[in-house]
Amino acid sequence: MNRIKLLFFATLRDRAGTKSMELEVPDGMTVQGLKNKLSEEYPNLKESMKSVLITIDREYAFDEAVIPPDAEMAMFPPVSGG
Amino acid sequence: MKRSFRRMRKWQCSRRSQEDNVNCEKWYRFVSLAMTRICFMDYPTIFSITEDEIDLNDLLAQITLTSTGAAAIFTGMVRGETRRGEAHDTEYLEYEAYIPMAEAKMKQVADEIRAKWSSVDGIAIVQRIGKLYPKTPTVLIACTAAHRDTGVFEAARYGIDRLKEIVPIWKKEVSPSGEFWVEGEYVPKAGE
Repeated sequence: MNRIKLLFFATLRDRAGTKSMELEVPDGMTVQGLKNKLSEEYPNLKESMKSVLITIDREYAFDEAVIPPDAEMAMFPPVSGG
Repeated sequence: MKRSFRRMRKWQCSRRSQEDNVNCEKWYRFVSLAMTRICFMDYPTIFSITEDEIDLNDLLAQITLTSTGAAAIFTGMVRGETRRGEAHDTEYLEYEAYIPMAEAKMKQVADEIRAKWSSVDGIAIVQRIGKLYPKTPTVLIACTAAHRDTGVFEAARYGIDRLKEIVPIWKKEVSPSGEFWVEGEYVPKAGE
C-alpha cells in the first residue's frame, strides 16, 4: 500500500469538511482510481469529481497518471486568483 | 553583457566581406540568444504570495536595472460595485492559495514571459491573500525593459492572464446577499 497526503482547497475543502487527509491507496492506483474511491467513500465529493483539478507533487495530473509513492496530492476547482 | 556582445559584433563585422557578414549576423544571433538565456540568472525575478500590503515602489525598485527605461505594471483590486454582467456589490473577498505550488507556478509564468520576450529585464508577480476589502490591491504583475516598445506591455498582460489560468489561488466573494467561491474556467493541459 501507498500512503499519500491529500490537500483540499476552496469548494473542495468545504465539501470534504477538512483541509487535508492521509490515505492508504493500493500501489499503482491511478488518479481516476482515486476519484472513484473518494466518490464512494465521501458522497459529498462525488459531484465535484467531474470538474476537479488534481495535482501530484505540485504539478497538474490527469486521470491516467499513476500515483507515485508518498505523493502530496491536492484537489481544487479551476483557479480564480488575481 | 549585451553591450559587450554588440561591440564584439561590430568588430567582427568590420573585418569581413558582406557575404561573411550574413554568417556573422547568424552567429551573433545564436550567441546572443544563448548568452541571454545564461544571463537570466542575473535578471531579477520576484514571485510571492503574501498577506502583507503590496508595496509597488519597493517591488519596482527591485526590478529596475541600470539598463531599464520602462516598466509596465498591472495591478488588480477588489471591486466593490460590479456593473458588468450580473450587477452586484461586494463586501470583501477572501483569498487562499496552495502556497508552495502557487509560487512554483508563478516562477513558471515568469520563465514563460522570458522565453517569449527576451527584452524583459525584471519581473515581479505578487498575489496578496486573506480578507481584502474594496479598493485594496490584490495582485501585481510588473515587467521592466530598456524601452517601452519592446513588448513589455504584452509581457505584463500575459503574466496576469497566465496567473489566472494556472496559479492555484482562489477567492471567496462575500456580499450582503451571501458568499460563494469564485471558480475559474481554465483547465490546465499536461505539462502546464
